[in-house]
Amino acid sequence: MIKRPLFAQILLYTLLTMAVLAFMIPIVWVILLSIRPAITNRTIPPTLIFKPTLKYFYYCFVNPGMSLNYLISSLIIAFAATALSLPFSILAAYAFSRFKFTGRKFLMFYYLSLFLGPPIVFLIPYFLIMSRIGWVGTYQSMIVVYQTFTIPFSILIIKSFFDEVPVAIEEAAMVDGANRLSALVRVIIPISLPGIIVSSMFAFVFSWNNAVFPLVLSGHFTKPLPVGTLNFFATTGVMWNYIGATSIVTMLPPMLIFLALGKYIVRGLTFGAVKG
Amino acid sequence: MGRAKDKVLKVRDRFLAYWLILPSLLLLVSIILYPLGFSLYYSFQNWNLQITPVPLGFVGLANYANALRDPTFVDSLINTLKISIMATAIEFTLGLGIALLLSLNLRGGNVVRAVLIMPTTVAPIVAGFLFRYLYYTDGLISYLLSSIGVSIPKQGILGSPLTAIWGIIFTDVWEWTPFFAIILLAGLQSISAEIIEAARVDGASFFRVFWHVMLPSLRFVASIIIMIRFMQVFNLFDIVYVETMGGPGTSTRTLSYNLYYEGLVNYNIGYSTAIAWIMIIIIAIIINLFIIFAFKEKEL
Repeated sequence: MIKRPLFAQILLYTLLTMAVLAFMIPIVWVILLSIRPAITNRTIPPTLIFKPTLKYFYYCFVNPGMSLNYLISSLIIAFAATALSLPFSILAAYAFSRFKFTGRKFLMFYYLSLFLGPPIVFLIPYFLIMSRIGWVGTYQSMIVVYQTFTIPFSILIIKSFFDEVPVAIEEAAMVDGANRLSALVRVIIPISLPGIIVSSMFAFVFSWNNAVFPLVLSGHFTKPLPVGTLNFFATTGVMWNYIGATSIVTMLPPMLIFLALGKYIVRGLTFGAVKG
Repeated sequence: MGRAKDKVLKVRDRFLAYWLILPSLLLLVSIILYPLGFSLYYSFQNWNLQITPVPLGFVGLANYANALRDPTFVDSLINTLKISIMATAIEFTLGLGIALLLSLNLRGGNVVRAVLIMPTTVAPIVAGFLFRYLYYTDGLISYLLSSIGVSIPKQGILGSPLTAIWGIIFTDVWEWTPFFAIILLAGLQSISAEIIEAARVDGASFFRVFWHVMLPSLRFVASIIIMIRFMQVFNLFDIVYVETMGGPGTSTRTLSYNLYYEGLVNYNIGYSTAIAWIMIIIIAIIINLFIIFAFKEKEL
């Protein structure tokens, strides 16, 4: 370890503090927004002195609690989209991890490229197709459409965890008479369970944060929370305190999940390309 | 005999791989390739849902030709390139700076690392809400900027065509700089400390170590995240939708917002599906450029 002179220490800690402030202040400011009386919203200069209130949370989530419906929609959609992707992705991830076959590279690349494509391109055909089959405004329209990112993502991440399980372990199980599929179910999946949970947490966050598809596909009662928040941008004026309250509730689950994910954040955000 | 059995197993295994992939592949083909084919078909049709419930007939490449002649489309292509290049470049530079800072093992660095990633977890649409509030003429950012002497346009940061695009770019920079910082930090930490220590002991300055040891070893990680991020900004929609709706004028209209507007506000299905395909072609070209130049020698 190289010892640094005092002035360098001061400089480095100043820079670090500035970085933390720059990235945290917008979040702190929206927390304050959600608890401050409306008259203190837009004073010049901005004020930190006010009597905090929880009435905006109460209005949004208790009485009349319209945002509570949206919160429940968000939960239903994100949980269902994550759960639906799991059986599909575990099977495919196992194939990609353990077999060399024709088309393997092409398929891997095809899945990877799904993250890089523009979701908006699919929005118009989805809207037309979903209206034809009468699914516009239903949960299942969004749950199915979300598979365009939950499945490819989960395949790549779960594959990266399967890759870490030594082949010898499942060969031992197969010598004991298990076939490949039961080796997968009885040996590989239990060993990789932490990885499958990590992958599901990411899939949940991506589904939770998606707003492009529900903007068009959700109905009055099936809107997820961030899209429901758009209601507060009324023509009569923007109700900022309510937006603050629902934004906080929208931000909380992903933040807690990322705190729990710790060292797996790097792997997840690079789709398994960087192990971290 | 054992050998014969092995062979049979292998052949059956190879089919097994396809069977395992088949369910996800069928689902993805039906929710991706089918809509793509669908929009390709209608991109050659004259169809505006506001005029008729059914297409008015085959028009060849007219929709494509109209798009390339449409100044709004050209503007949104230029805006999109501007936003993607600027946002990615700023995020990479700032992110690398923060990653270097954190790699020095300062006290409290671990806490900072855990907290710093928070903006990246925020839904882009919510980041849009936050910054729309902060950018108001009486909002916090406008106040802080004007108190250090930066003049804010009378219509507000998002209200002036000159500054609105920077408002969009900096919302994205706020959200995604931590992403670069955390991943580049992981890249820096994977460089063996001994190599760096050895270079330092040999008398190399910090700058030389950075330039000759750290940057080259970051190349792969950096290429991956620059590609991922560039493509994500290239598709930028949520922030624009919440903050400016593409305005004022067309100053912040991105390709994605333009496509949304033509397809789901104007309901011009034929024209918007043509724009969608032009966008797909542009993106395919960019991805291939990345692969040719950045991942030449690397296995994906």
